[in-house]
Amino acid sequence: MEEATAYLRDGVLSHLEKLEAHARKLALKQEETQRQQENLARLRARIQELRLQRDELQTKVNLQQVGLIRQEGATGSNVEPVQAAETRGQAFLKWKVENVKAMLQAFYLTGISGKLTKQGVCFCISTAYEGTYLDSYYLDLLIQQPVQIHHHSVPIFIPLEQIAKKYLQTDVKCFLAVLSDHLNAYAGRKYQADQLQDHFSAFLEGTLQRNSLHNVLFFNYDVETESKTFPFRAKLVYGDLTRSLPTEAIITCKAGDGSASLVEKTAAHSNLFRHTALHKAFDSFKRAAESLDQTV
Amino acid sequence: MESDIYQVYEDEIHSLEEEIEMLIQKFENKQESTFYSDEEIQISIKSLEGESKRHESPPDLKAELDCLESDLSFLMKFTGVWFTNYSKETVEKTGNKTIQKHRLSGTCYSLTFQMEFQLLEIQSNESISAVVTDLSIIMECGEYSDLSKFVSSAEERGNLLIFFRSLSSFAEWCEHRKCTFKHFKAKYPDIVRLPEGPSGDYLVIRSPELSGFELMIVWKIYVDAEGRVTPVLDLLPRIPVQALQHNKAAVENGPQCFRNMLLLLGIEASIESLIRSVGMEK
Repeated sequence: MEEATAYLRDGVLSHLEKLEAHARKLALKQEETQRQQENLARLRARIQELRLQRDELQTKVNLQQVGLIRQEGATGSNVEPVQAAETRGQAFLKWKVENVKAMLQAFYLTGISGKLTKQGVCFCISTAYEGTYLDSYYLDLLIQQPVQIHHHSVPIFIPLEQIAKKYLQTDVKCFLAVLSDHLNAYAGRKYQADQLQDHFSAFLEGTLQRNSLHNVLFFNYDVETESKTFPFRAKLVYGDLTRSLPTEAIITCKAGDGSASLVEKTAAHSNLFRHTALHKAFDSFKRAAESLDQTV
Repeated sequence: MESDIYQVYEDEIHSLEEEIEMLIQKFENKQESTFYSDEEIQISIKSLEGESKRHESPPDLKAELDCLESDLSFLMKFTGVWFTNYSKETVEKTGNKTIQKHRLSGTCYSLTFQMEFQLLEIQSNESISAVVTDLSIIMECGEYSDLSKFVSSAEERGNLLIFFRSLSSFAEWCEHRKCTFKHFKAKYPDIVRLPEGPSGDYLVIRSPELSGFELMIVWKIYVDAEGRVTPVLDLLPRIPVQALQHNKAAVENGPQCFRNMLLLLGIEASIESLIRSVGMEK
């Protein structure tokens, strides 16, 4: 009985020791993680500080270049000739104009830029897909009661009227955001289809069929797997016009023998098209084919 | 992975230090052994502004500047994005290809950002295409973990446009939440508590009559990898055990009822009606 108690006590003690060791290990690990995070935060702060310092210096150099900081001994007397002062004043104004122009141009990168007009404001909505800037669209608004769209370059198939009806009178910012969603999604769908046609035509059989809004695409493509080429037919439907990924991808194999592996393949393709950009999906097919070639 | 990040940061620090050194030399060489303090530079700018007013410069230049400044001011107010510093330099120019390095810092409501990126512009006979590369964004995301994830995803894809749109939307929601919390705290100081202050993400409604009875409204703002910003509100009741025995169903259904109320009435009206119902309980 005593033996059993001693054995049990030893067991409990060794278990406790193990737990303690584990806790120590965990504490050390946490300490290490915390230290790493602190180091990263310190480095980030240093970068921020250096960037500010660099920007300040850059400003000084820029000011110096347009002659804002007077050079000593540039003129013999303390009285600066009127002409020189005028020139410097103008140089300063020019520098300021360039500066503001550059900042306004930078707004193009944010997706919405524009300028005030006599009767309202002319907005420019820029579109981009991932890092690539695509087309820009203009919208000239008359700010009055009710707010009116004077001119615009929005394509006819974008539901501009519906969006305007819903938001324009109550919230111009919201109106532009929704319109921008539609335009960016359209630009993204078009960009993907163009990329597919330009860079992966070797996979395509025949032409890629698309409508003007690019919300329905049809194409036939061949994919080689296990040294056998399978011809597929795809229909991609973009049910949400504010997104550039399809809500529905119907894939059928034209040489369908109905085998389980083929059903699996079509399901995998359908899933891939619904979650990955079109050209990226084909890029993965290309890589798979290349790796297959290397193994053969 | 960690060491990779360290290396990237160390490299950036090194290149920034080199750049600063180069700029200092550039500045000092031009100065011809004359040193000017920041105040003197500011005075210099001020005097020049005065000069450009005194010696009437061509009216078109002044008019252009006024016009541009009002456009910029309007855009900043409208979008909520304020640029505090912007510079660009041409890194490479060959034939129809131009690479420019851009540096941009600014604020969006209460959030500040600093970024650097390269813009590759290719001129074809029809148009110019621009591609963002090497995007690096520094932001103090702090307690917003999913904002931090989104920023990383935007950096990876060079997705500058989505970054700005989502940042603006996210910051606007944060500002809206802050104003809403402040409003209710001011209107019902005895009932409403803000343990983390107006910038926190929850508000506590405490009954002045029933001790231990509290309703916590948690208001989170989520950003997914695609940059979609979603506000999510939840109700967490804290009720004494004895009260719970009497009316368990009401407590269990509370959060769902609150969600339904949000759909019907909107955020402010739902919070208001909750506060009133708690305040009226005698």
